[in-house]
Order: sequence, then structure tokens, then C-alpha cells
Amino acid sequence: MLSIKNLHASVEGKQILKGINLEIKAGEVHAIMGPNGSGKSTLSQVLAGNDAFEVTEGEVTLNGDNLLELPTEARAREGVFLAFQYPVEIPGVSNLQFLRTAVNAMRKHQGKDDMNAAEFMKLAKEVSKQVDLDPAFLKRGVNEGFSGGEKKRNEIMQALLLQPKLAILDETDSGLDIDALKVVSDGVNALRAPDRAILMITHYQRLLDHIVPDYVHVLADGKIIKSGGRELALELEAKGYGWLGVKDNTTASH
Amino acid sequence: MKSASTLSSAFLQSAGQALPEPLLALRANRASALTDLLLPTRRTENWKYSAKHLKLTDEMASSLPLNASAGAEADIQGYTVVLVNGVVRPEASNYPALEGLSIQRFSDLNGDDAELAADLLGKSISDQPAKHGSINLSLLNAARFEDGLLIQLQPGTVLDQPLFVVHHTSASHSGSAFPCILVAAGSNSQLTLVEDYVSSGESPVMVNTATEFSLGDGANVTSVRLNTEGQNVQHMGTTGVRQQRNSRFESHSVGFGGTLRRHDLHVRLEGEGAECKLNGVVVTQGTQHYDNHTTIEHIAAHCNSEESYRNIAADKSHAIFNGRIHIHQDAQKSNANMSNKNLLLTNGAEIDSKPELEIYADDVKCAHGATIGQLDNDSIFYLVSRGLSPRDAKVLLTMAFINELVAQIPVEQVRDTANTGLNQFFDQAFQEV
Ligand SMILES: Nc1ncnc2c1ncn2[C@@H]1O[C@H](COP(=O)(O)OP(=O)(O)O)[C@@H](O)[C@H]1O
Ligand SMILES: [Mg+2]
Repeated sequence: MLSIKNLHASVEGKQILKGINLEIKAGEVHAIMGPNGSGKSTLSQVLAGNDAFEVTEGEVTLNGDNLLELPTEARAREGVFLAFQYPVEIPGVSNLQFLRTAVNAMRKHQGKDDMNAAEFMKLAKEVSKQVDLDPAFLKRGVNEGFSGGEKKRNEIMQALLLQPKLAILDETDSGLDIDALKVVSDGVNALRAPDRAILMITHYQRLLDHIVPDYVHVLADGKIIKSGGRELALELEAKGYGWLGVKDNTTASH
Repeated sequence: MKSASTLSSAFLQSAGQALPEPLLALRANRASALTDLLLPTRRTENWKYSAKHLKLTDEMASSLPLNASAGAEADIQGYTVVLVNGVVRPEASNYPALEGLSIQRFSDLNGDDAELAADLLGKSISDQPAKHGSINLSLLNAARFEDGLLIQLQPGTVLDQPLFVVHHTSASHSGSAFPCILVAAGSNSQLTLVEDYVSSGESPVMVNTATEFSLGDGANVTSVRLNTEGQNVQHMGTTGVRQQRNSRFESHSVGFGGTLRRHDLHVRLEGEGAECKLNGVVVTQGTQHYDNHTTIEHIAAHCNSEESYRNIAADKSHAIFNGRIHIHQDAQKSNANMSNKNLLLTNGAEIDSKPELEIYADDVKCAHGATIGQLDNDSIFYLVSRGLSPRDAKVLLTMAFINELVAQIPVEQVRDTANTGLNQFFDQAFQEV
């Protein structure tokens, strides 16, 4: 599904990603863990196509196609979805209108007819219940005045609506209380499918109690320094990042 | 330095449409007062940004044909009066014989009505900006109108649907048009007047308009102004409003840029408890130009004014907002709120925003704010990362900026026309290469 080879990226002239290699197959869930500032969000933004980040070396393919050549919207239509660590608030743009435009852009790409307002409303209401968001949120501006947890649930709701091939979740667990973490995890588990890959980025191991990954990678200073099964996450929790010779000013466990 | 030149005398010659005596006398009087009128330069305070776009050649001095026929604009649903080149076309018009409502063209006025028109004309516009070293080209309208409309509502008369006045300028060759509308809204009467400025033909022309509203006690008037004239039209419009006690005036204007677009809106709150709300949306692109000047005078106590103007400028266009609030000494307990927000879509576009406050009363609430910003890249990326095209993402964000004002326009047909125009604007401004 996703193949990343020797990926280097910089922002404002500063090298952040220093040679990432990663293979993810359909149906797999991979977790990337790492201390703050190690480049986790940079990797997710580069995959989604944020041109604030410059790819200086390496290649990325999605089902064999060169992802880096595609503009952001084409990546989205090919099935790349990024749940943002910090979703932006866009006052004045209604969530409902935005979501319907997005779903219809996707449907058009797949050669399907547009969903009309009534059909979409029905679907959106169902999905919002799935992530425990009051459908009244649909009428508000995009993320406008949403709490941190509501923003994260809105991201998962969008993933459920858009049914991506590759879902990248950037710290979707941070800032959530236990109940919200459960709701979000249930949403992510509902996304698990044989034809879908999930890349979960997290700073903490606790999310992995709810969503059991197939592989865990540790990212430090722009490189994957260790990969393993889910037991690697437990080991990290017990020993901290220091165990791998990585400096971290926060703790890995929670 | 080039010295200021005076207006060519050709601009003071009317074409000779038959008019009642009081109006002829008034027009001649106004024309003779303008023989020394200086043309504005960039040093003229209220023409700083627009003077360079003003191109008044002698070919443009003569009145456009007074008997040109109306175009296809007559498919408006509802009450309609059509003016072509500033002259009323009764055959293209369609409005009710409603008790308490009278709609008359200037050339049909007689007796008291002719006196009333002559009395109202220029009363709300006058020569007020003169003391600011400014030049008021709208005074030309009173020196040159060939026809016009007098709309009178008797006390308590309520018009049940909007009255559209379509101003069609037929620019088959160079010339000028001077449409004029006078509205006398009696106490507690209600009216929504839509002024729709359109044009056909490609020759350079000047449209110089005057619209004057006089609101009696408790009258409620909404003025909607839409400008979709061609690029060849130099438009100079003036709206003057005088409000008596507890009257309410609302103005909604939507303007698309052109070679030169200028609108001066002057509201006088003369009676206690009067209130006005002025909304304006302007979009410009290419090398277009749009210059809005508003003045709100709080003359009596306990009046409210609320103003919100939004400009969006693309390419190398230029939009200007100049908003003056003048609170007179006796206007205690005035409440004035003015907001101007601006969106630059490119680095080459220019927006100038200038609030001017003159406050001579001590017990007033007056707030004003102006912002100039650009579309937010993070917001665009967020939307595009969900599969929206960059165009659709920018349209959503840009519409979010003006939606609130467009939604408040109380006439559906105008909202539709505005949205159609905005979509054309977006197609140009957000072209995908
Ligand atoms: N837009 C940006 N401009 C400048 N520096 C950035 C930007 N985004 C990230 N960085 C820097 O890149 C490094 C990696 O950041 P990030 O990818 O957000 O790390 P993580 O998500 O692992 O905490 C940090 O040093 C951060 O300061
Ligand atoms: Mg991060």
C-alpha cells in the first residue's frame, strides 16, 4: 500500500526528516512513537502534501503511484487521509457544507453521483453519532469553538465519511479524557479493514491499549531508530525513550 | 505639477427633454453654479485614489440617446420601473396602482408634485463636502438630469413587495446618463427599493446617479443597490438620506468593480430615535477600481447607526472604503458602530480603508474597526487535504468572509444575481492553471 524510501524533508531550511524507510501493507496498523520534536507531524504533513515542507530526497508510493508528484487534493481523492494534530478553526464555513463538498469531490473522483443535501444530512447524522458528536455540530463553522476533544472526534468523523485507503492519525489521542479516548478508539477500530492501512502517530502508549497495532516504530531525530511488534510499545512505556538513547523532556508513559 | 483643470462646459449642456418649469429652473441654476467646477486630482482629499481613473472627454459630455429602447432586463418578477440612459421607459415598466403610492416620471409632474420634486432635489446631497477641500461630482446630476422618478408614499402606505428600478445605460457610443430618483416616504410608510445598474454596449460612458430618500417619522425604507455595469462605464453614484424621528433606513449594496466605480452614501439622522444600517460588499479584479465613501451624521439625540462594509480585491485591482461618522453636539446618547473588513487575494491588489470620526457630543458610544487580511494557508491546506479543489476551498473561505452580508440582503432575486456575479468573480480570481 504505502512505501516510503529514504525520505528526507526540511522546513524553512532546517532538515527534519533524515531518511525514513517504512512499508505498510493493506490491512495493517502501524504506530509511530517518538519524543516531541522528532518529526512525527512533519512526516504526516509531508504525506498529505503540505508544501510548507520540502522533500529533499527519497520517494513515497501509494499502491505503486508516486505520491509526491500529486497535489494535496489528488492525494486525498486517491485515499490519503490525515487526521490533524491541530485541526484549524474556520469560522463562517459550515461544517456540513464543507463535509458534503469533500464527500462529493471524492464521489466524483470515483465516478459516482453527487449526494444531495438530504441524503448527506442523513449520513452525516449517523456518523456523528458514531463518534458521539451532537449533530448540532454539523451546523457550526468548521471546528469553530470546538473543544480539543470535539476537534479530534470531528477528524475521526471525517475519516469515517471519506473512507480513505490510508488513514494517518496524528496524535488523535492527545488531549482526550478516558471516555473520549474510548469513543475515538472505537471510531478508529471501525476504520480497520483488510483493504485499508492505518498509520497512528502517538506520543503515548495508552492509545495502543485500545487500538492494537501490528507494528510499532520509534522515530527520533528524523529517523526510525527501532521497529518491532506491539511489545515494543510496552517496553517503551516501562523504560522510557532514554532506554533507546533518545532525549525526551516528557515521559513516554501516561 | 499639473494645475487642476475645470470641467469642460460641454458637461453643463442638457439635451432638452421636456420638464416642468420648477425642475428646469433648478437645473439651470445648478448648472450655472458649476461653471468653475474643478476636476479632482490626486491631491483632492476625497478623490485621492480615484482621480487618476476619471477620464471625462468631450465625447462623453453629451447625453446618451433619450429615446433608446429597453433591453432584456424586464424579466424581473415584481414591480419594475425601467430607466434607459436616465429616462423613464413607461412601456417597459410595470407597477401597481396602489392607494397611497405614486410613482411619476419628472416629465409628467405638475403643480404641487413638480414643486415637491424641485424642493427635494439636492436637499440630502447639497454641497456638504466642499469644506473638506473635496470635490463633489455628484452635483453634476442636478445640473444635467433629463428625467427622473418621484416616488411618494402617503403616511402608513406599505408596499408589499420590492420595487425594482433598473437603470440601463446603453453605451452604443460615448456619452453620459444622469438618472435621478427622489423618494418621499411619509410617516410610518414602508418601502424596499432595489436599484439595479446595468449596461450594454462598449463605448466609454459616464453614469452619474443621484438617489435621495426623505423618511418621515417612523418610516421604514430599505435600499438595495446592485452594480453589474460593464467595464466601460465610469460610475459615480450618490445616495442621500434624511431621516426623521424613529425612522429606519437600511442599505445593502453589492458592487462589482469597473474602470471607475464610486458611490457616496450620506445619511443624516435628523430626528430622535432614528436608526440606520449600512451594509456593503465590493469585489474587484483585474485592474478594476471601486471607491465607497459613506458619511453618517448623527444630528439628533438617541439615534443608532450600524455599518459594515467588506471589500475583496484580486489581481491588481483596488478597493477603497472611506467611512465618516460625524456626531453633532446635540446628538447625545448616539450609538454608532462601524466595521470595515478587507480581504486581499493577491499581493498586487490594493485596499485602502479610512475611518473618520468627528465627535462633538460627550455622551455617545462609538466603535469602529478595520482589518485587512489574506486567505489563511493552513485553512486552505486543511480543506484541500479533504479532497476539495483549491478553487472550492478558496471559494468557501472567501464566501465565509461575506456570507453574513449577502445573506442579509432582503431580496432573493438580488441575492441570486449577487451570487452569480460572485461565482464569475471566483472563476477568474481562482483560475486553476
Ligand atoms: N512550520 C514549521 N516551521 C518551522 N519549524 C517547524 C515547523 N514545523 C515543525 N518544525 C520543527 O520541526 C521539528 C519537528 O516537528 P514535528 O514534526 O512537529 O515534531 P513532532 O510531531 O514529532 O512533535 C521541530 O523541531 C519543529 O520545531
Ligand atoms: Mg506532532
